Amino acid sequence: MSIDIRKETVKQGTVEQRIVYESGNEMAAYAAHQINYHIMGYFPISPSTEVAQFLDLMKANGQHDIVLIPADGEHGSAGVCYGASAAGGRVFNATSANGYLYMLEQMPVQSGTRFPMVLNLVCRSVSGPLDIHGDHSDLYFALNTGWPIVLCRDPQAVYDMNIIALKLAEDPEVRLPVIVASDGYFTSHQKRRVMTFTHREDVQKFVGEHPPEGFQHVLDRENPITVGPYMNEPDYINNCYQQSMAMYRAEDVFDRIQQEYAELTGREYPILELYRMDDAEVAVFLLNSSAEIIKDVVDQLRAQGIKAGAISPNIIRPFPAKRIADALKNVKALTVGDRADSYGGHGGNMVMEVRAALQQYGNSTTMVISRIYGLGGKDFYAEDGLKMFEFAIDAMNKGIVEKPFDYHGVTAGDPSKAPKRVLEPMKYEDLKTGLITVTPDEVTGKVNVRIPPLRSLTKKPKRIAPGHGACPGCGIFSGLELFFKGIEGDIVALFHTGCAMVVTTGYPYSAHKATYIHNLFQNGAATLSGVVEMFHERKRRGELDQYGLKDDFTFVMITGDGGMDIGMGPAIGAALRNHKMIILEYDNEGYMNTGAQLSYSTPMGHRTSTSNVGKFQGGKVFHHKDTAQIMAATNIPYVFTGSEANPQDLVRKGAKAQWYAQNVGMVYGKILITCPLNWLSEDKDGSDIIDQAVNSCFFPLYEVERGVTTITYNPEEKGKRVPVGDWLKMMGKTKHLNKPEYAETLREFEGEIERRWNMLKAKHENPYL
Amino acid sequence: MVMLPKVNELGFFEIRLESIGGLGANLAGKMLAEAGVMGAGLNGVSFSSYGSEKKGSAVKAHIRFCDIDTRIRDTSPVERPHVIGVFHENLSKTINVISGMHEDSIVLVNSRKTPEQLKSQLKLKAGIIAVVDATGIALQENNRVNMAMIGGLFRLCDFLDAEFMKGVIRKSLEKKYPAAVQPALDTFQRGYDEVKFQTFLLDEGDAMPSFVRMDTPVLGYETQPLGGLITNPGNSILKDLSISRAGKMPHFADDKCIHCAACDNVCPDFCFVWEEQPDKKGRPQMFLQGIDYQYCKGCLKCVQACPTEALSSELEEDGYADEHRVAHKFHLAI
Repeated sequence: MSIDIRKETVKQGTVEQRIVYESGNEMAAYAAHQINYHIMGYFPISPSTEVAQFLDLMKANGQHDIVLIPADGEHGSAGVCYGASAAGGRVFNATSANGYLYMLEQMPVQSGTRFPMVLNLVCRSVSGPLDIHGDHSDLYFALNTGWPIVLCRDPQAVYDMNIIALKLAEDPEVRLPVIVASDGYFTSHQKRRVMTFTHREDVQKFVGEHPPEGFQHVLDRENPITVGPYMNEPDYINNCYQQSMAMYRAEDVFDRIQQEYAELTGREYPILELYRMDDAEVAVFLLNSSAEIIKDVVDQLRAQGIKAGAISPNIIRPFPAKRIADALKNVKALTVGDRADSYGGHGGNMVMEVRAALQQYGNSTTMVISRIYGLGGKDFYAEDGLKMFEFAIDAMNKGIVEKPFDYHGVTAGDPSKAPKRVLEPMKYEDLKTGLITVTPDEVTGKVNVRIPPLRSLTKKPKRIAPGHGACPGCGIFSGLELFFKGIEGDIVALFHTGCAMVVTTGYPYSAHKATYIHNLFQNGAATLSGVVEMFHERKRRGELDQYGLKDDFTFVMITGDGGMDIGMGPAIGAALRNHKMIILEYDNEGYMNTGAQLSYSTPMGHRTSTSNVGKFQGGKVFHHKDTAQIMAATNIPYVFTGSEANPQDLVRKGAKAQWYAQNVGMVYGKILITCPLNWLSEDKDGSDIIDQAVNSCFFPLYEVERGVTTITYNPEEKGKRVPVGDWLKMMGKTKHLNKPEYAETLREFEGEIERRWNMLKAKHENPYL
Repeated sequence: MVMLPKVNELGFFEIRLESIGGLGANLAGKMLAEAGVMGAGLNGVSFSSYGSEKKGSAVKAHIRFCDIDTRIRDTSPVERPHVIGVFHENLSKTINVISGMHEDSIVLVNSRKTPEQLKSQLKLKAGIIAVVDATGIALQENNRVNMAMIGGLFRLCDFLDAEFMKGVIRKSLEKKYPAAVQPALDTFQRGYDEVKFQTFLLDEGDAMPSFVRMDTPVLGYETQPLGGLITNPGNSILKDLSISRAGKMPHFADDKCIHCAACDNVCPDFCFVWEEQPDKKGRPQMFLQGIDYQYCKGCLKCVQACPTEALSSELEEDGYADEHRVAHKFHLAI
C-alpha cells in the first residue's frame, strides 16, 4: 500500500483550510489570485498556458485585480515583468521550454539588478523535433541565471511553493526573482486533492499585504535612481559577488520561511525530502514528480528487506550540497536520474552537482550511477524506478559501477520496421500544368493573371497529403491548398509552429509531399531567408546542377496569426531585405494550437481563453492587428488578403504571389480561415462565416501591388454588404456581442471596421496613398 | 466511508476512458473523479492524454481512486484498468482499447451491438462487457454522449453516489443553461438504467494477453533517421481517419454532379477523387469520381458548398463508407 510512513507525524496547522480538487496549473493561478499580484506579463506556451487562462477567467468573474498583459512573445513578457518589478509592485509570470529560453537573456538582467518576482516554470522539453511534453531541459538552463529555484512534486506543492516563493524573493536577505518549477503535464495537468487557505487574507498576512518597505523603485520622484548602469570591470565582479552571497543566504531563508509555513498549514518543505534514508544503503536521487513515484518503489524494496531510500531536494538553487553529502554519508550506491542531458558532460546537471558535493565534503565511498531518463515526457513508471534501484543494488553487490553513465528507457528499433518510402515524389509535369499564365504588363508595371475554371485545377496534385490530424472542418488546409493551386511547379515550404505544423507532422508521419521545414514561430521568416539565399548561391556555384531542377523553387513560409505576433520582427526584417519568398499567414484569430488564447489579430470583444466573457470583462479589450497594412508599409512588391469563400480571387493572388516571389522579392499574404473548435461554430459553416467576414468589410479582399492598392472584391458594389452583427452571430465566441450589454463594444468594433474600410477605399482610389 | 470493490498493489481502483476528441471523455473523467473525491470521500487523481492530435482524434482519460489515507504518487497512465469506458465502438478498429484489462475487468461500450458481437470486435478473451447505446440516448434526449456514458460508468462504479453527480450536473448547468438541466439528468439516468451486462469467462488453460506499455515506439535509435527527419513524407495517407466522423457523412450522387470543384475547394481533408476523362466533345476534362471516406472527418463543408444536390448530409450507417469509398490513386512507392 502506498501509505506515507511519515503521515502520523504531520501536523495539521493553525490556519483555516479547505480542500479543492485541481491541477498544478490551476493551483499556481489560485495562489496568484489569492496573493493578488499587481501584474502578470505572459505569453502562451504549453503546458504553462493554462495559468494565464485560469487567471483571466477569474478576472472576468471579478475575483482578483491582477493586470494581465498578453505580451508579443516570451521575450516581451519578461520585459513587461522586469519593468513592472522595477516599478515596485508584485509581478508574476508562467512559461515553459522554448518560451523560457526565448526570455533567457532577460533572466540574468533581472537577477543582476535585484528585482524580485515569481516565475512559474512548468517544465517541458526544449528540443529540435518539437516535443511539448515534460522533462527538465528548460529547468537546467535556469541553473546559471541567478534565480533561486524551488521545486514542486505535485499540485499541492505548486500551491504552497508559490506562496513561499514570493516571500523568499522579497526577503531583505535575498531580493532575487524566484522560479517555481513543476513538471509539465505530470503535475500541471493532473488533478489532485489540494489543501488551500480558506481566506485570502491569511495568504496576504503570510506574504505581507504589501512588498517590504525600504527598497527603491522607479516611481519615487523624491528618490530618483538609475537602474542598470553601464558597468564593466572592476565593478561588475563585485555586483556578482553580492548576488552570489544573496543566493547562498536563500537556503537558510527558505528553510525559515518553510518552517513558518508549516506552522500555519501543517505542510513541510524541508530543503531535502528524505524518504527512509536513515539507514539506507542504496538510494535514488530524482527531481519533482518522479521523486514521488520512487517512494512506492522504496516501500516495495523495504518489504523485501532491501535498505532502500529516496532523496530529492525541494530547492536546487542554491544547491544544498552539504545537506546532500550528509544524507548520503552511509549510502553505498546511489543512482541519480536526470530528466535532461548535458550532452557530452558524462551525466546530467544533477549528477555532476551531487558528485561535486560528495567530493567537496570528503565522501569518496558512495558509488554514483548516472542515468538520463524520461526525456520529452516519456512516462516514468514504478518499474522504471525499480530499474534505477537495480543499478545501485548491482553496484553495491559488485563493489563497482559497471556503467557510470547511460540512458534508461531507449529503444533500438526493429530494422524491419525502419521507414520506407510510401509515395513517389510528385512529378514536376503534374505541378507545372501550364493552365495558369502570368504576364507582366509593361505599361502598368503590374502583372496580368489568367486562370482556368477551378475544375481544371483539380488535376494538379495537392501538396499536402490526406491523413493529417486537423479537427473536422478546419479552415487551414482548404485555404492553403487553394492558394497552392495558383502556384506552378515546385515549392519548398517552411511552417511555423502552430496547428498546421503539429497536425501534419506527428512523428513518424508527415503529410507534406514536398520538402518542408519547421522552425519555431518567432523565427521562420529569418530561417526561410537563409534557405532562399543558400538556394541562389549554390545554384550560382553550380552545385545544384546535379539535381536537374527545371525551374527555381517557390519558397513559401506558412504561419498562423500567432507567428506574426511573436515573429513580427523577423518577418519585417525579411521583408526589408526583400528576399524572394512568400509569407502566407492563415489567420484564425487566436493561438488555437495552444488552446485558443487571444492573439493580436483577435478582434475586439471576441471570446478567447485569455479574453473571457464575464460580469467584469467582455472579451478582448483592444482592436485587431492590421498585419497586411504593417507588411505593406515595408514596401515589398506584393501584399494581398484572400479567403476560401472567394476561390478564384485567391488562386489568382497565388499565381501573382509566385511571380513576384520568383522575379522581384518578398510577398506577404493573409487568408482568414475558420477554427470551428475555438470559434464555437458549426464545422460545416466555415466558408459561410468567412464569406460574412468579407461581406461585413471586417476582412476586405485587396492587394497592394508595387505600392498601389486595389480592392479585388467590393461587397458594397456587389450589393452584398452585411452588418457586422450578422457575421458575429454565426459564432459562439461572439454571440454575446449582439446583446444589449455589449452594445458599446460592438459599436466601437464597427467604428474601427468602418474607419479601416474607408481608408482602404481611399487607397483604392488613389495610387499615391 | 465507501469501500472500493478491488484495488491493485498500490491501493488503486483504476479506470481508463477511450474516446475521440470532442465526445467529452475528458470532462466525463473529470466529473467522475470529482464525484469520487469530493462526493464519496475518496482520494483520487485524473488526467487526460495530451498530444498533438486535435478534435476527432483518439484520446484517453485516466482516473485512479484509493482510500483517503493512501498517498497518490504515480503519474503514469492507467495500464491495468478495472473499468474501461469506450466512447466510440469503432475506436477498436485502430486502437487496442482493452489493452491491459484483467479477466474480471468491465468494459463499457457505447454501442447498439450485443455483448457477443462486441466480444469478437474487441477480440476480448474474458471479462465483463457492458453495453449502452449512449449515442442513441443522447440523440433522443437531445443531450451529450458523455452524459449517458457517465450514467453507465456510475452504474459500474457503485461506490460512487449517483445523487451527488446529479447535484453536480444541476449546479454546473442551471445558471447558464437552465433548459439543459432536465435533459442532462434524463440522459444520465438512462445511461445508468440501460446498461446491459454479460460476463465472459476465460477458457481453461488460456491466459489474458500481456500488455504493451503505451510509450513503446515503432522506431528506435538504430532505425530512426538522424535529427528526427521524416524521410518518407506523405506517409500520412496510411492513416485511417474515419473514426473522426461524429455520426454524419456526405453522400455523393454522381448523376447530380456538375463537376464544379466547389467541394474540392473547401474540403480540409482532400477527400475528393478526380479523374481526367474525355467530355462530350472528346476534350480532356476533370470529373469527380467520389469520396475517399478513409480521410473524411464528416465536417460536411462540402455539402454546404455544393451548388446542386450531388452532395448530401446523411447519418452514417455501418459499412456504407467501406462500400462507397472511392480510393485515391496515389503514386505509391510500396
